[in-house]
Amino acid sequence: MADKNVLVLGGGIAGLSAARKLADFDIGVQLIEKSAFLGGHGIQFSCKATDKCVKCGACVVEETLENVVRHPKINVLLNTQTQKITRSDGQFSVTLQKNPAYIDPEKCTGCGLCFEKCPAHGAISRGFSKSNLPFYAISEKNCLFMKDKSCSLCQDTCPEEAITLDQKRTDHVCETDAIIVATGFEAFNPESKPYGYNVFDNVITSLELERTLRQESIVSRPSDNKPPEKIAFIQCVGSRDAKLGHLWCSKICCGSSLRMAKLIRSRQPETEMAFFYMDVQTFGKDFQVFYETVQDDIRMIRAIPGDIFRTETDRLRMAFLDNSTHEILEEIFDLVVLSVGITPGKDTKELADQLHLAVSDSGFLSPSENGIFTAGTALGPMSIAETISNAGNAVWETLKYLRI
Amino acid sequence: MEQTCEIIDMDQLDHGRFGSWSFSQDFCVTCGLCSSSCPASGIDGFDPRKFVRMVSLGLEDKVVEARWPWICTMCAKCEHVCPMEIDIPAMVRSVRGLREREKVPGVLHKGLAAALETGNNLSLPKEDFVFILEDVAEEIAEEPGFEGFTVPIDKEGANILTTIHNKLVNTHTEDLKHWWKIFHAAKEDWTVPSDNWEGTNWGLFTGDDEAMKIMAGRVAEQMEKLKVKNLLWPE
Repeated sequence: MADKNVLVLGGGIAGLSAARKLADFDIGVQLIEKSAFLGGHGIQFSCKATDKCVKCGACVVEETLENVVRHPKINVLLNTQTQKITRSDGQFSVTLQKNPAYIDPEKCTGCGLCFEKCPAHGAISRGFSKSNLPFYAISEKNCLFMKDKSCSLCQDTCPEEAITLDQKRTDHVCETDAIIVATGFEAFNPESKPYGYNVFDNVITSLELERTLRQESIVSRPSDNKPPEKIAFIQCVGSRDAKLGHLWCSKICCGSSLRMAKLIRSRQPETEMAFFYMDVQTFGKDFQVFYETVQDDIRMIRAIPGDIFRTETDRLRMAFLDNSTHEILEEIFDLVVLSVGITPGKDTKELADQLHLAVSDSGFLSPSENGIFTAGTALGPMSIAETISNAGNAVWETLKYLRI
Repeated sequence: MEQTCEIIDMDQLDHGRFGSWSFSQDFCVTCGLCSSSCPASGIDGFDPRKFVRMVSLGLEDKVVEARWPWICTMCAKCEHVCPMEIDIPAMVRSVRGLREREKVPGVLHKGLAAALETGNNLSLPKEDFVFILEDVAEEIAEEPGFEGFTVPIDKEGANILTTIHNKLVNTHTEDLKHWWKIFHAAKEDWTVPSDNWEGTNWGLFTGDDEAMKIMAGRVAEQMEKLKVKNLLWPE
């Protein structure tokens, strides 16, 4: 087998799965990720097992990530984006722009001193998994050194001398035989919806709840860190919405939110929960069984509520029409979780232009073949399991193309 | 929850008429945001979501007979929140238009009939109307800063012609003063017609296009007659 190389764009579960499968075929993989951490959205998700596994797929992301960072055939480039792609004689020449990591993953022990000492809000962020190496990252947007060189506290404090702030962006040229595009999705930003997101502290997104459950195990109100007595989930925020041009169902939100609700119920049994929905999308053969058990614990309300108001005691009031009494019901909650939809990545158009890929009417990429292949949620909403299978398919197509 | 199901007589469905409407009611995903947001939801069980479904199903007789379309205030909040861009207020208006005119709710029906006959919903005679306006103007003139204020009725060649909502010459005369004081402070060249001054157009609310056209036409006639180019129509 001749030495073949494949460039994988995107380090979420699609890119990780594709990279790992290709590497297992002894193909050299260059895996590039634009953010500071591998794992994409999936690595931020919490395991939702209660007394038994509910097949949410979060652990698979963790496991795949661990395998990828250890794999000798995979070279990972973080903070990296493609600049230019040219193709001749079946070879791709890709110019990559890599922003410095500032923290040396070889030296960093993940002690967290830099994170503790940093005076600038949001300048140092933490990864989500022990396989995120380095576990901390410095944001150029918020770091005071990047702004005016006024602070180098992290560099001075680091006991391992792992931090070097004075570093420049570098360009790399990568020669490759094929490309897999796995650039993922963007979670919908619900600021435009009448729910007071980013106005009321206790209105959060489902993605934020995933992160909280992963990091803290239990849920508390952002405003006062108290456990919420009543939680409302509002589904389809940013999905199935012609006004936004998002006509699709995001597929994962019903499952994800119901599993989180069930998990909260098992860990904080006093919590009352209401689930506001249009219709529950029971994807997957096991979901129906799970759904039946969920309904014992969670109040299912077939209506999407309107505006949210903050009460004088810092709770959240909202209204909906009760289908059984035909009257408007006002209810008060402590925490409202907006199940935000899957939307096309912000740079989809730019990337499609670079690679000469087609973008569908929805704004997601259209499937591609002949040297450049596509995988995962860059194509549209998919669950973790679907994404892995889709990435497997992209790898299979790539192998055929490379005649391996 | 106890629920009874009513059997729908399939012969009663009329998709033909509703199908020709351009309100895309068939795109409704029954999310219920309209019903959650509507300020009139729940009054007599009014449920905008159910109303849209009735139209979508073609339940013409039921929906035209129902009181629901007349509970709606046509404020359009439902349309604002609807993720599928369904123009529910326009649908409500069209359903109202399908009712026999004699069955249009009393106040609206009588008010509109009076407006068509006399020029305003109250059948207020011209002399009384002019008297009320001048009386309010005199009150304003007594306030400091508004000395010598008069109301310019039927002023030819004014910059703005303004209509008057009938309640402002009935129970809410104080509310006339706000507009007029602003005109005065802005040194606006404005006028009020002494005929066909009615600012409400209940052809809009009853779904009666013909009446709406007549009422709007009369306002336009006044503008032509008084050679005024701009209209202020504060319903």
